[in-house]
Amino acid sequence: MDHFLGALALFGSVKLWLVIVVCSIYGLFVGAVPGLTATMAAALLVPFTFFMDPLSALVAIVTMSAMAIFAGDIPAALVRIPGTPSSAAYTNDSYELTKQGKAELVLGVDLVTSAIGGLMGAVILMLAAPFLAEVALRFTSFEYFWLAALGLSATVMIASESPVKGGLALLVGLFFSTVGVDITLGYPRFTFGSTELLNGVDFIPAMIGLFGVSEVLRNMAGAHLRFRAAAVKAEGIFRGLAETLWRYKVNMGRAGLIGVFIGILPGAGADIAAWIAYAVSRRFSKEPEQYGKGAIEPIVDAGTANNSCLAADWVPALVFGIPGDSITAIVIGILFMKGLRPGPMIFEQQPELVYAVYVSFIIANILMIPFGFLAIKASGIMLKVPRNILMPAILMFCIVGSFAINNSLFDVGLMLAMGILGYFFEANGIPVAPIVLGMVLGPILEQNFMVSMIKTDWDLTQFVTRPGAAILGVLTILIWFVPLYPLLLRRPGGAPASP
Amino acid sequence: MKISDTLVGAGFVTAGALIFAGTLGYPPLDDGQPGPSLFPRLVAVLMASFGAVLGAKGFRASDVTEALNWRALHRSTGFVNALFVLAGVLAYILLVERLGFLITGALVIFILMWRLRVRWPRALVIAVVFNALVHLLFAKILRVPLPLGLLWW
Repeated sequence: MDHFLGALALFGSVKLWLVIVVCSIYGLFVGAVPGLTATMAAALLVPFTFFMDPLSALVAIVTMSAMAIFAGDIPAALVRIPGTPSSAAYTNDSYELTKQGKAELVLGVDLVTSAIGGLMGAVILMLAAPFLAEVALRFTSFEYFWLAALGLSATVMIASESPVKGGLALLVGLFFSTVGVDITLGYPRFTFGSTELLNGVDFIPAMIGLFGVSEVLRNMAGAHLRFRAAAVKAEGIFRGLAETLWRYKVNMGRAGLIGVFIGILPGAGADIAAWIAYAVSRRFSKEPEQYGKGAIEPIVDAGTANNSCLAADWVPALVFGIPGDSITAIVIGILFMKGLRPGPMIFEQQPELVYAVYVSFIIANILMIPFGFLAIKASGIMLKVPRNILMPAILMFCIVGSFAINNSLFDVGLMLAMGILGYFFEANGIPVAPIVLGMVLGPILEQNFMVSMIKTDWDLTQFVTRPGAAILGVLTILIWFVPLYPLLLRRPGGAPASP
Repeated sequence: MKISDTLVGAGFVTAGALIFAGTLGYPPLDDGQPGPSLFPRLVAVLMASFGAVLGAKGFRASDVTEALNWRALHRSTGFVNALFVLAGVLAYILLVERLGFLITGALVIFILMWRLRVRWPRALVIAVVFNALVHLLFAKILRVPLPLGLLWW
């Protein structure tokens, strides 16, 4: 409780509130413009966090991402293009309802379920993180090895449409993580004689390339086209809202928990949470035939789940240093940049920082109601921003942002190479997020494996005989069989539901 | 830029083989156990195997019809625009130390906007003003040493 009050006191600073307001507007804008993702917004924020204290940096990412995930719902409802991938699951339903003249109700549900989901996620984060941190204090290199393996497996088996393609993306990330001086002998690997690569592939320019430049490249095709957005009266979004939300209160609770579960699982993020909540909602719905044709019920479910997941994604990131999704992967990069090591010790050494993350999630989700209302009011303008001016501007931010970290043009080249890679991968259905997780988890996996092996003189049995390690190992292996679960759940004799 | 899964798979098999070849000269640990080479080799083998699976799947589904149409490529606006982005960043890397940020940055933004059909007087004004704002933010407020080049501001 002391820490909580201590963290609250930190929010007395005017500078911090300035960061909150600016990042809220930034997040709402990026979320509302189709084609710009929350991950890209986070990557472009990193060069600025470089010049902030750790507290402001974390608060900036929290507020920006919470607002962006909500704002992604706006173009989904008004132009049938999800603003961020997290709104993709219910884009059809949202747009169909808009065509029926119910845009206000959809946006009202989007806004309030986002805030409620975000608050649920924040509460779970506050309860689960310190508890898990106590458990994590007893972890050794064996448990950390399995945790990293669990994160990698979840990325491939749950978060990817095609496990083969997800796996390939992950392996590319793992390969990048091996570049530079190796941990056992200090031997330089894959540096091709370049001094810049001795410290490895720099995370920040790589992120900006993979999520910023590749988005710019992809948006280049139709950048001169304008969206035709449906008009909406922001004042009407709260009409009939309470009644709708009350009818689906069970859905909200269920979806909030689904989001939290996906969030705590390392490797899977808000977009996956929305898809799973959508599927679960359809399974238990009284009117599953309406799904996809303009039902409000799945919007309640998936809209709650993606925001509750966003907060819960911070649990594995803070407690174990294992990212819950690509945004928290960037957060881990920022923490390292600030000389902070995420993991159970951060709860003892920097408790105010951890509590400040909780508080900023609560503040962001409360502020979301007034700010989101204004964003809906301004949606007409935001969707009219000419993208043929926006894209070159974003590219320049990418260039300068990559340069700013080490003041090196090498990093700008690295950013470009990663941008081309990300563009090529996306075009061929290979997801980009696993590359980032591979880059973050690769060193954790390798170091903990090599350390474990050297200290036990290559005794592999330790990976399964320690109780903690055994549990995590079993969980990891269970995840590998995820594609088989639908077969097991199928009712005997009954055909699976048609898609 | 969509090409067939067969080709992408073959690309990953090659990449895996190259990574493996790159580790051949790595030293072992003192006790003869594998050290720096273990992890990259594991990655290489898995990458080649996954690539082979993807390639075989693509081959069996005979997705050659999806293969890239090289002849029509130069007529695809998206692809040519993407090349402009590429050329813009490369030009930035090559020119910025000689011409300085204010000139190079504005030039890159201007050319891209012009390519994206913004009328040129408008593009010119936006490029110069926006780039000066970026300079103000990064060079003056955040103190990033952006190259000055020909201009001294």
